[in-house]
Amino acid sequence: MVKKKAPLRVGETHVQAVRDTFPGAVLDAAWQAEDQVTVTVPKDMLPDVVEFLYYGRGGWLPNMVANDERPINGNYALYYLLSMEEGDPGFVTVRAEVDPQSMEYPSVTPRVPACVWSEREAFDLFGLRAQGLPDERRLVLPDDWPADLYPLRKDSMDYRKRPAPVTDVENYSFLYEGRAEEVTEVPMGPLHITSDEPGHFRLFVEGEEIIDADYRLFYVHRGMEKVAESRLNYDAVTFLADRICGICGNAHSVAYAEAVEHAQGIEVPVRAQYIRAILLEVERLHSHLLNLGLVCHYCGFDTGFQHFFRVREKTMDLAVLLTGARKTYGLNLIGGVRRDILDAQKVATIKYVREIRNEVEALVDMLVSTANFESRTAGVGRLDPAVARDYSPVGPCVRGSGIARDVRFDHPFDGYKYLSGMKARSHDGCDVQSRTLVRVEEFMDSLTMIEQLLDGAPAGPVLTEDWRYTPHKFALGYTEAPRGEDMHWAQVGDNQKCYRWRAKAATYSNWPILRYMFRGNTVADAAIIVGSMDPCYSCTDRVTVVDVKKKTETVLTKDQLEGYCRRRTHSPLSGTGV
Amino acid sequence: MIENDFPASLQWRPDPVALDASVAKAKEKLLQSIKRSVYVYRVDCGGCNGCEIEIFATITAAFDAERFGIKVVPSPRHADVLLYTGAMTRAMREPALRAYQAAPDPKIVISYGACGCTGGIFHDNYCVWGGTDPILPVDVYIPGCPPSPPATIYGFACALGLLDQKLHESRHVAPAGEQAPVAFPAIPYKVRTAFEREARRMSGYYYGKQIVDEFMMALAKDKTDALAAADRLVERETDTRKKAVFMDLKALLLSKVVQE
Amino acid sequence: MLKLFKEIRKAGDATTGYPFEPLDMPAGFRGKPEHNEKLCIACGACAIACPANAITMDLNDDQSYVTWDISYGRCIFCGRCQEVCPLFAIELTTDFELAVLNKADLSESCAYEVARCAVCGKPYAAAKEVDYARRVLKSVGGPAAADVGKLDECLACRRREDARAFQAQARTEGGAR
Repeated sequence: MVKKKAPLRVGETHVQAVRDTFPGAVLDAAWQAEDQVTVTVPKDMLPDVVEFLYYGRGGWLPNMVANDERPINGNYALYYLLSMEEGDPGFVTVRAEVDPQSMEYPSVTPRVPACVWSEREAFDLFGLRAQGLPDERRLVLPDDWPADLYPLRKDSMDYRKRPAPVTDVENYSFLYEGRAEEVTEVPMGPLHITSDEPGHFRLFVEGEEIIDADYRLFYVHRGMEKVAESRLNYDAVTFLADRICGICGNAHSVAYAEAVEHAQGIEVPVRAQYIRAILLEVERLHSHLLNLGLVCHYCGFDTGFQHFFRVREKTMDLAVLLTGARKTYGLNLIGGVRRDILDAQKVATIKYVREIRNEVEALVDMLVSTANFESRTAGVGRLDPAVARDYSPVGPCVRGSGIARDVRFDHPFDGYKYLSGMKARSHDGCDVQSRTLVRVEEFMDSLTMIEQLLDGAPAGPVLTEDWRYTPHKFALGYTEAPRGEDMHWAQVGDNQKCYRWRAKAATYSNWPILRYMFRGNTVADAAIIVGSMDPCYSCTDRVTVVDVKKKTETVLTKDQLEGYCRRRTHSPLSGTGV
Repeated sequence: MIENDFPASLQWRPDPVALDASVAKAKEKLLQSIKRSVYVYRVDCGGCNGCEIEIFATITAAFDAERFGIKVVPSPRHADVLLYTGAMTRAMREPALRAYQAAPDPKIVISYGACGCTGGIFHDNYCVWGGTDPILPVDVYIPGCPPSPPATIYGFACALGLLDQKLHESRHVAPAGEQAPVAFPAIPYKVRTAFEREARRMSGYYYGKQIVDEFMMALAKDKTDALAAADRLVERETDTRKKAVFMDLKALLLSKVVQE
Repeated sequence: MLKLFKEIRKAGDATTGYPFEPLDMPAGFRGKPEHNEKLCIACGACAIACPANAITMDLNDDQSYVTWDISYGRCIFCGRCQEVCPLFAIELTTDFELAVLNKADLSESCAYEVARCAVCGKPYAAAKEVDYARRVLKSVGGPAAADVGKLDECLACRRREDARAFQAQARTEGGAR
């Protein structure tokens, strides 16, 4: 009764392991692309199967996608995406259907904390309730959004519907995870004038020491996923994806295009794959220089900050040379890229790369030999590898804690498949310094990669228009943005539009760990810790500090906080207590 | 315009802040002649951060907006100019209003970037109110996605009356009976479009168009022997990539010749 | 510290001369889209492709003109219009000086006369587009040129006519058998 041995498909060992461990749990297993398999399980099995794949089989969880599939099969569906990075690398998606009567499913968060934001979001956008989810606060939608309107349900509303605000005050409740008797009632309500931030932080402190932090983000929720399902055709969404983030938009655009290409089985010309990888690295150049500049700034080394920005302009010029734009490259189409690299551009690029390498080497040398750098960054903002394992953070954040996760090498895509002699960088100091050093090394690697890719790019077309559009197929697209992996899940409908598009930005995976990085540090370090995560920098513009013992609340402006970060004397908190 | 096509019943609209007559007058005076440096407070109302970073680039060494006395300040209390970026999201409406109210009158409001000016690509999404002007009276619009640092400097120079605005509204009516010329009449239409399509596939819309134009120009010039013209073009070209596309087009030409 | 001073000295003055001197934008920079009204046939390809709806096309109230309109305030400078235009009538220039004090100045438009269907009288395309298509079809020759007459009808009428012709053909064929 021995079957003839067919070569195993990517992910098959994981699927088999699930079958063996949970007999009868796998209702269906289907491959969307060479390295992507989706297994459907009963919803009650979700926590067990996801936990097994995550901790038992070396999986990491980029995110979870909820989908309203009632028009297709009568149910809602949840897709827990797992990136398998130990044996048999690939993507295993655990899917479960949720019936529209109960609208409930068992929460996976208590078993795998990395699911927390996705499960909160699934309630905001679809009204799907995770039973046992420890944090049921609103995540994505603004405070003034009506409670019973779920924007992404297929039958809930037009994408242009703008309901009247239900409140004029921000009423989000900030949580303090401490011992019960110490919990301070955090004042809420009309806030203070200095706010210009798309994120609002609360630090819980004892004196100068941060003991916890919480934050309200998504001030910039614009409803992109809905507009991609309605106004835009699926091939125009690459331009929308470019505008998810102004720093790493190209990474999103590529990730979206690849999701559709994987789902539709489109072979992207090899030259286009090279060009995509080159542009992703160009994007990393300017992004990492931005961060290195900010590290200088936070260390009180403003001369260095200006110099990093001076050199950064060269990377922007390089982007203009290759794409015609400084930031939003807009060069991806489904099936390839829109602009070739001719010899003239290639030569000019290599010249830029050499110049930039020399200049940045000198600047980094300067930064590292600055006395402040070591003292301000070593041991600060510690990200425990164990916490990292639980929350699946990405990018230099996790690589600074000794875990070399990098999509470019874990799941090589595009031009990265053809690189030689490169590997994921990591440092194990778990602190701001490690994260900075990872960025420095990656920056230099990027320059080398650009040279290699320019050199190796084969002849041939940059675009294909040769495919058949099949409705309702879905797949994942992934890229390594400067801040970590971007993971897009896309399914096209029967009307040349996305049926469901879920874009996961790198920082989405990193926010949940920030509170752990804060703990035990002083208020003076807060800005540099946030900076080392490299979120969109304006997020730290205002911080509310709550002293849990004194029960006072102080609002610091970004400048006060940054100034304190640089000086470390004259605490802005002194004198504000009772 | 699509903006006016919104089904009004679906959309609640915020009331924009109205300008007091005396403030409006003072503001007009200020806009005409600011003979001093200006302090800028920027408010991110839901942008992608592209604009913020271009502002950053504008105030750092390479473009150094402080040359003109333009300084970014950390509080609206100190600001002469409020710079609003991003599509106005629902969550940022109140904070945006608070920043506006906190700045002393008369103040100049600048909408920055496509999203700030009109809502940009997000203009009709459910979670935004459009650009800045559904909420606040805007004095200067700086378009761009994002505006580059020189565009930012130009915008400020316009706002401060240092440079004149170049762009003006234009409403034209095409004359009746106007004919659009057919390009490259010497080359059969179907052949030309096949060339254009192939060049775009090989080299993208931008370089592809340049290359195919050069190719067709050479063909159109030599009416006797098109293949020889193509050969000469390939021969002369030093850019290896362009050469490859020329050769590809030549192969296409050959196949067309054989067909006919 | 000495290293720092050296680096500063080496960098020199890094600041651009703009706006006191003109700025050279590299070719291929995606700035203001320039619409060539003479070349444009108002086919609407750009309006369909524009991801931000910066380009729109609308009929006026009495349906005599179709107006091509661009809002530079909404434009995201992606160049899709340039890519899809069959006549290359729109092109992104390197012009970046677009700031205005008055929102209306961000808008440019051009109205094109509408052609009406020879059968039902409804407006169906810009007259200029119909004219262009007629000349192209004639130049192509062959079976396509035989259809030139159908250009004067709207899509709905043409379909109806085709269906009728097909029916008639089927009937005669059926009779012959």
